[in-house]
Amino acid sequence: MTTTALKNPSEAERQLAELFSRHTPEAAQKAAFEAFARTGLPHRRMEQWKWTDVRQAVSELAPVKAEADTSIELPSNAVKLSFDGSGWTIPDELPAGINIFLKSGGHDFAQADALPVGALAASMTGYSSKDMLMIEVSAKVDRPLVLAYQGGGDAAFSRVVFVVRENCHVDIFEHYSGGAGFSSFLTEFGLAEGASVKRTLLQEASQQEVTAITTTAHLDTKAVFTQSALSFGGKLCRIETHLEHKGEGAEATLNGAYLAASGYHTDFTTHVTHGAESCVTSQLTKGAVADGGRGVFQGKFLVPRTVGQFTDAEMQHQALLLENGAEIFAKPELEIYADDVECEHGNTSGQLDEDALFYMQQRGIPKPEARALLTEAFIAEALEEAHDDVRAQLVDATRRFLRNQRGG
Amino acid sequence: MLKLDNLTADVGEGDGRKTILNGLSLEVPAGEVHAIMGPNGAGKSTLSYVLTGREGYEATSGTATLNGEDLLEMEPDERAAAGIFLSFQYPVEIPGVPVMTFVRAAINAQRKTRGEEEISAPDFIKKAREIGQKLNIDAEMLKRPVNVGFSGGEKKRLEIFQMMMMEPRFAILDETDSGLDIDALKTVADGVNALRSEDRGMLVITHYQRLLDHIQPDRVHVLAKGRIVKSGGPELALQLEKEGYDGILGEVA
Repeated sequence: MTTTALKNPSEAERQLAELFSRHTPEAAQKAAFEAFARTGLPHRRMEQWKWTDVRQAVSELAPVKAEADTSIELPSNAVKLSFDGSGWTIPDELPAGINIFLKSGGHDFAQADALPVGALAASMTGYSSKDMLMIEVSAKVDRPLVLAYQGGGDAAFSRVVFVVRENCHVDIFEHYSGGAGFSSFLTEFGLAEGASVKRTLLQEASQQEVTAITTTAHLDTKAVFTQSALSFGGKLCRIETHLEHKGEGAEATLNGAYLAASGYHTDFTTHVTHGAESCVTSQLTKGAVADGGRGVFQGKFLVPRTVGQFTDAEMQHQALLLENGAEIFAKPELEIYADDVECEHGNTSGQLDEDALFYMQQRGIPKPEARALLTEAFIAEALEEAHDDVRAQLVDATRRFLRNQRGG
Repeated sequence: MLKLDNLTADVGEGDGRKTILNGLSLEVPAGEVHAIMGPNGAGKSTLSYVLTGREGYEATSGTATLNGEDLLEMEPDERAAAGIFLSFQYPVEIPGVPVMTFVRAAINAQRKTRGEEEISAPDFIKKAREIGQKLNIDAEMLKRPVNVGFSGGEKKRLEIFQMMMMEPRFAILDETDSGLDIDALKTVADGVNALRSEDRGMLVITHYQRLLDHIQPDRVHVLAKGRIVKSGGPELALQLEKEGYDGILGEVA
């Protein structure tokens, strides 16, 4: 019995084991749960989770009252898939080049050991979401695909796999609106040669919720993966992306913006492996944190000897402490074994430029508004690659957040 | 219009705090342009910051009023809405905020404080285009973030652009001539002269006579050690140019 693999389970872990034992898992799910059970809910004594202690935050599985989400106006041609915490609603008609398959168990989650919360989601597929969603993209699809996640009661789990065929393209907008006490969403991308994905993600949750959004992406030759994420955090939120360049000349953009109000915690963690020559990674993460809020950035580029030659990679993390009492933790890491590469990283956190604030005030803009305007411009830079249809709305959401902060 | 009476101000904090303005009195009536000249460290820039309310520049005694309104009681943005405009000696970069967005936000913020209607988008764009043409500022420059990557001359022209867009009741030009070549100086001076009017006052702070060749002042004041030590007509600027501050200051002392 797999549940016995959890050592000294916490109440929440016991409940998770109970949930798992209620459904009839296939071999891949059993393997995923075993991988999860080896660590249990990640906690601060694990290096990768030292600032984001899930075990402590999820003391037990309990429902939350869903809070109103930011309403995002979707383009009229959007193809909307909704996940309500227990199942998917999929439109009857799909555009040419999109095929959706529902699989009961799914394949082995290869990175289960490195991503315990993602493994948990993979193991639970079948408990709440009933099915794993496999989305095959076999054309240049010009209608954006929207995945809306909301609800789930005490716990919600989903697993979505994108298979993007050679030279095909899709735009994806994911909106995570919260509504479950604990949720873990796993999304896997496989990009074939010349394939491209433009992914935009908005995460919101109430202050009672713990959310993990785990992504893996494999890029074949000359594939292009562009990700822009805006996170408002929750009681705890971890957005973790593991990307591997597997074919020559692949390109990845991993941009993120986070805004943490008092009592909110948000974490962007990324791991990029340059497993093929001449690949490009560009990463810009920006954050703004209020008194009592917490932002975490952990980024790692791994460039192995030989295969990682001619890597071109840049990682930037810039954060603003909006008030005293804001907390920002950052760990940018480059691990480079190849000798002919261009890799750089930068990491700053500080406060708004007082000279700029005075200049703006002198022109008539009240200080709180000047702060909001400066911060908005600062954050917006990390959203420049977001999908055209939603970018302005993401910046609007940023502006509303900043107007609601005390500031001044 | 602008009236400073026995104004004393400190700069800095704690042990570093120093009295820079020391009983400065000055009156600039509506419709007039006055020049303030003085050696380095006389308190010229301090005066501009005290009048605009910069943090760390604190008036400790005396008064400063604009049309009878007490400036020293107001926040910097309220002073702007009351009509005070400062053309900065060193204009500041505002990353990520395009010039047009910034200037429109500023104009509307001032109008809101004054209880006026916002400027309409077409009116704003039309005005920006007209003023931009006068100052040799192209539309591309107005789309760029404020002062980011601008040359010294571009920054100064953008200050005058903002002044002409905002039409302040009282403008302070702090070393607007520094960093300008002859042609740019002429362009900037033309902009300033275009704003001269019966109901507007200006204070032109400068080291040198050359700006005053283009912007003819009604009065010239010499600032030294935090107060006005000598006032006169435009000829005073010429005398300064010839004799230097030492000559004038020696004469006063």
